[in-house]
Amino acid sequence: MRVTVMCLRNLLRRRFRTSLCIFGVSLATIFIVAVGATTTNYTVVIREMNIFFSGDVVVVAEGAMVIQAFPVAGGNLPVSVVEKVQQVNGVKTAVPMLVRFGYQFETVIQLAPTNVSVGIPPGNWSVLVGNTPLKPGGNWPSPDLGKKEVVVGSSLAKQYDLTVGSEVKMENTNLTVAGILDTRSALLSRSLILPLELAQRLYYGHTMWIGNMVVAQPEEGVTEKEVTDRIEAEILGVEALTTDERNEIVEPLLQDIETWSLGISSVLYLLGMVLVTTVAMINVSERRRDFATLDAIGAPRSSIFRIVVTETTLIGLLGGLAGILLGSIAAILIASFYTNIPLSMFFFDLFNIISPFFMIKILASTVAVSCVAGVIPAIAASRMNISEVLRSEY
Amino acid sequence: MIAKTQELTRMYRLGASVIVAVNKVNLEVKEAAFVSIVGPSGSGKTTLLNLIGLNDRPTSGKVFFKSEDTSLLTDKERRKIRLQNIGFVFQTFNLLPTLTALENVELPLALAKVPPKLQREKAIQLLEAVGLSDRLQHRPKELSSGEMQRVAIARALANNPCLILADEPTGELDSETGYEITKLLLSLCRKHKTTVVVATHDERVAKASDVKYSIRDGMIT
Repeated sequence: MRVTVMCLRNLLRRRFRTSLCIFGVSLATIFIVAVGATTTNYTVVIREMNIFFSGDVVVVAEGAMVIQAFPVAGGNLPVSVVEKVQQVNGVKTAVPMLVRFGYQFETVIQLAPTNVSVGIPPGNWSVLVGNTPLKPGGNWPSPDLGKKEVVVGSSLAKQYDLTVGSEVKMENTNLTVAGILDTRSALLSRSLILPLELAQRLYYGHTMWIGNMVVAQPEEGVTEKEVTDRIEAEILGVEALTTDERNEIVEPLLQDIETWSLGISSVLYLLGMVLVTTVAMINVSERRRDFATLDAIGAPRSSIFRIVVTETTLIGLLGGLAGILLGSIAAILIASFYTNIPLSMFFFDLFNIISPFFMIKILASTVAVSCVAGVIPAIAASRMNISEVLRSEY
Repeated sequence: MIAKTQELTRMYRLGASVIVAVNKVNLEVKEAAFVSIVGPSGSGKTTLLNLIGLNDRPTSGKVFFKSEDTSLLTDKERRKIRLQNIGFVFQTFNLLPTLTALENVELPLALAKVPPKLQREKAIQLLEAVGLSDRLQHRPKELSSGEMQRVAIARALANNPCLILADEPTGELDSETGYEITKLLLSLCRKHKTTVVVATHDERVAKASDVKYSIRDGMIT
């Protein structure tokens, strides 16, 4: 017998209850997908940030808040710091930078830590971007400040329809796009890179502060830790962080986020399981006569068990599919809201927000949970006392 | 001998009291016989049929099926006997509501792992035999009581059982339809040499039977 068809018909016979149950499962799945996708993206981006300056020491003002390699809040550094860092024994190069998160063209927004502008001394671009190339036709910004040239990330260029030669306005200053970074990096694709002095004039209005971080590259044979210790001993008012130390700052936070996400998902799965089990128990108790009849005509216990479990699994499958679809939309809405990147860009890039593997994992988990949820009702159905049921119906 | 009971007793506990539904019943059901078990409601007919049909286990006494002591059989073995050798017809038809008439008849065949094509052929043949060739795709709620009972009979015959147990098969039917169903069961018995045991309080069924057992308060009188 086509068990799946039979089970579908059984579910359709109690449309309202089945729909409510599927809705409940899909609601749980929506939250699991939205929370999971959002936290995953967040942690991936944060972890990706530490790829930058790996092996180098990052020097920031004492008390500055650092997320991975970048200062997100806190003090600025005086010009003299760069020279002092450069003079520390074991430091090969010291490159100052002015990093600003959360800018938007024309205005500065508070909720979007995605956009980043980085001022770097011309010629030192690779300290930030490594080997990332520019799209054809582009150039790195000219050191000539009069030209006011910048390089933008691919995602920014796509969002604002920027090409080489386009003009963008920031802090009441018109800037010219000299090149577009060809990258899929979450940070670089949303970055605006400009000569350090131009950034100083834009953000400070003067050049008395060099920026808010210095990247110190240790000489060969010298460890990050040695450089860090020396910088902190010799220069007052700064904090130097090794790659590991930078990781240690956010890793507990990221682990907390992941644990909470897992906890929320587990609770939602549990609630979904309780819902499915309850509905399946009601279904079984209403269909006692059907199961007793199957038993009487010789159906093996496994067949009866399979019918109930297939029904709950179908609920999980339908609820899971609906949940993933709606959850993906929710995740995109959340991502769009918190980054100010238009929805349309996310829809084109859906699988970067929610990977197919993540979707399959959630669907498989929902189906598995629903399958398990059917076990107790299935045991109840397959172990029914048939003579009692058949006798009590008259 | 298809079935035989020996001092068959079935007791139930109902709260603090114990009810003796079947009390030391001895009976024999011969091959190709049309046997009726007659008695008022609550006399133990259904319990007796459930015991003979291996749906229930006795408190004491024995049920022999084709000379085999069924008390020694496991649940799995009893199910196998029910599937392959016994057909059940219930008072309230007990058709699965989400399946069509054809699918209801196919069900025991599917459980017996008959190939799908043969299932379909056999089910159609049986439904034609009970006069329902034009109702194959109808669900139970689209059928009359008489038609539902015919489907139930076709289902009971699906795996060519040697014994059909019918519990008040005419109980839910009007007089005329009940008569038709009785004739159908009788013809099965006569034509196909299938043993039929009917629990009933319908006198016409009792009169048509080869052997009649009267039961009262769980005892054969």
